[in-house]
Amino acid sequence: MIRTLQEVFNRAVENLYFQVTTYLPPLLVAILILLVAYALARSIRWLLLHAFKGLAADRFLEESGLSSLFARAGRLRAAALLATFVYWAIFVIAALTALNVFDTKLTSQIVEGTVFLFPKLLTAGAILLAGVWLGHYFGRSVLLWACNEELPRPRLLASLTRTVIVFVAVVVAADALNFARNVFLASFIILTGAAALAASLAFGLGGRRAFEDYLERRSHSRAETGKSFFQHL
Amino acid sequence: MPGDPASLLPAEALSAVTSIRGADIVIGIPSYNNARTIGHVVYAAHAGLAKYFPQFTGVIVNSDGGSRDETRDIVLSSRFPDAHVLMVSTPLKPVHRLSFPYHGIPGKGSAFRLIFQMAESLGAKACAVVDSDLRSITPEWIELLIRPVLHNGYDFVAPYYHRHKYDGTITNSIVYPLTRALYGQRVRQPIGGDFGVSRDLVSRYLSRQDWETDVARYGIDIWMTTIAVAEGFRVCQSFLGAKLHDAKDPGADLSAMLHQVVGSVFALMQEYSGVWSTRSGSHDVDLFGFRYDVGLDPVEVNLDRMKNAFRNGCEQLSEIWAIALQPDTLAAILQLGRVFSSPFHLEDSLWVRVIFEFASAIQRKPIERMHLLKSLTPLYLARVASFVEETRTMTASEVEQRIEELCLSFEEGKPYLTALWAGKPLPHLSPRAPQSEPPGLEVSKS
Repeated sequence: MIRTLQEVFNRAVENLYFQVTTYLPPLLVAILILLVAYALARSIRWLLLHAFKGLAADRFLEESGLSSLFARAGRLRAAALLATFVYWAIFVIAALTALNVFDTKLTSQIVEGTVFLFPKLLTAGAILLAGVWLGHYFGRSVLLWACNEELPRPRLLASLTRTVIVFVAVVVAADALNFARNVFLASFIILTGAAALAASLAFGLGGRRAFEDYLERRSHSRAETGKSFFQHL
Repeated sequence: MPGDPASLLPAEALSAVTSIRGADIVIGIPSYNNARTIGHVVYAAHAGLAKYFPQFTGVIVNSDGGSRDETRDIVLSSRFPDAHVLMVSTPLKPVHRLSFPYHGIPGKGSAFRLIFQMAESLGAKACAVVDSDLRSITPEWIELLIRPVLHNGYDFVAPYYHRHKYDGTITNSIVYPLTRALYGQRVRQPIGGDFGVSRDLVSRYLSRQDWETDVARYGIDIWMTTIAVAEGFRVCQSFLGAKLHDAKDPGADLSAMLHQVVGSVFALMQEYSGVWSTRSGSHDVDLFGFRYDVGLDPVEVNLDRMKNAFRNGCEQLSEIWAIALQPDTLAAILQLGRVFSSPFHLEDSLWVRVIFEFASAIQRKPIERMHLLKSLTPLYLARVASFVEETRTMTASEVEQRIEELCLSFEEGKPYLTALWAGKPLPHLSPRAPQSEPPGLEVSKS
């Protein structure tokens, strides 16, 4: 009995020893990698923030409207953007390296998946960024048009425009990622179809008369404008 | 030959140039559905050439934007009234009348381009352009626009009219004060629409590459004036009396008109920043013609509509204005948007800051250009409403004095613009004290 217990105990110790000798060094190495990466990422971020002025890139951010898109006060700086990007890039690379140290099937799959997914993520990110920018741009165009034409609820029209464009960008980005492709496509088609049908019904049944009145009022007011406003030039 | 103006002409115009061979004077008339008025303009041009320039070969060129009425037929078929009725001598040289449709972007600028190409191809010494909707044009206009070029060596003759105090509000509130402050020359009607131009200046216009921009549309007038004053061409004005013309197309979009004119001013500011940043103050420009008072068409105004458009802008567009305006300027504008009782007053120094800050923002953020320009419409309407309230009981000369004060505010605020443009710390821009005596605006030369 004692002998059996001793054998079990020895096996447990051996297992523990095996597990400790197998996993502890990689774990320590992984922690070390993460610590070094953290220190490196922070140092590089500090360096980029203090040494890199990025004047040309700042000008691009301001001229392209990206600055005012993401920072309300328009103070998005290229150096800060780059520093944050590099910081997280170093951290992700370090995390993948740390996972790779364990050399197991699961960690290999995670690393492989992430590496393969990365270009797609970048593409989807670019698509989303372009979509948000376009949505913002066309939303503003609609807001200005509606406001200058004295249409009712210009902000609502602008928000609708922005939402539609961003939604299209999300569908395209999801398609690029192979993520819930069918769900997004189906919902896009359903929503577009429903919007078109609703607009047709509203226009055909309820809005026709209102639209006629609106056009009549508008042409009348324009004729008056020509008569009584200004020779602006 | 590339760059040869004749090679750019439509076939129909090229064949006319070949058959006429040459001309001393070209009178251009851009048109679009002006059948009602263009006959009178052609008569006046014809009579002007016959009466004042009988020894010169003259060509009247109608550059048409695809009129669907009888505009072109009237130009080509109308007969010159008996010379003795008009008390003019029979021209020693013929006056040709031509009418062509222009190609390219529809707009006044594209029409002007064809006229200038014709003038250069014909080797004209002087070219004048007059609007086709004028009701007040007389043969003397042709003399006043052409003679300074032919006999006095001027390159650019700008019009000088008497206009109703509420007529030409883009000119009075933005274009005249800004152009004067920038380039230092007091051209009172920089976007008047009727001009005289020398051969050298015609060549300079045609050599430029920006014909396909806003210049092709409403931007053409300020583009012509700015090039003349910024590039050192000799500039003068001619007093033409009253400008009475058909009401603008009621469908014409004010926002588009403002956008194209002001957009052209701002674009030219970028091109000529090296010129205007070194100039300060302003001086009179020679004025030809006998000045007299004239009766003017009344102009009715709709103040409430303008104020409502501005208040609506305050509610909807403050986020876009914030891209261009400094925080204190924006706060002052939004404060004005909360004023519902009279007096509704947008003071000069605030208006100067608005225009300078927009000009500077458009230079810094070209992608936002269109949005910023379009968002200027409610602010412009606020300025017009303020001007109307303020000048309601004023006489024409008092209103002119008021415009002069605005111009001086623009001139005094120029260091603010220069600092803003260069991204330097901004000087304080305080309201100027009103003047007690009207300044001498122009030197009249009859």
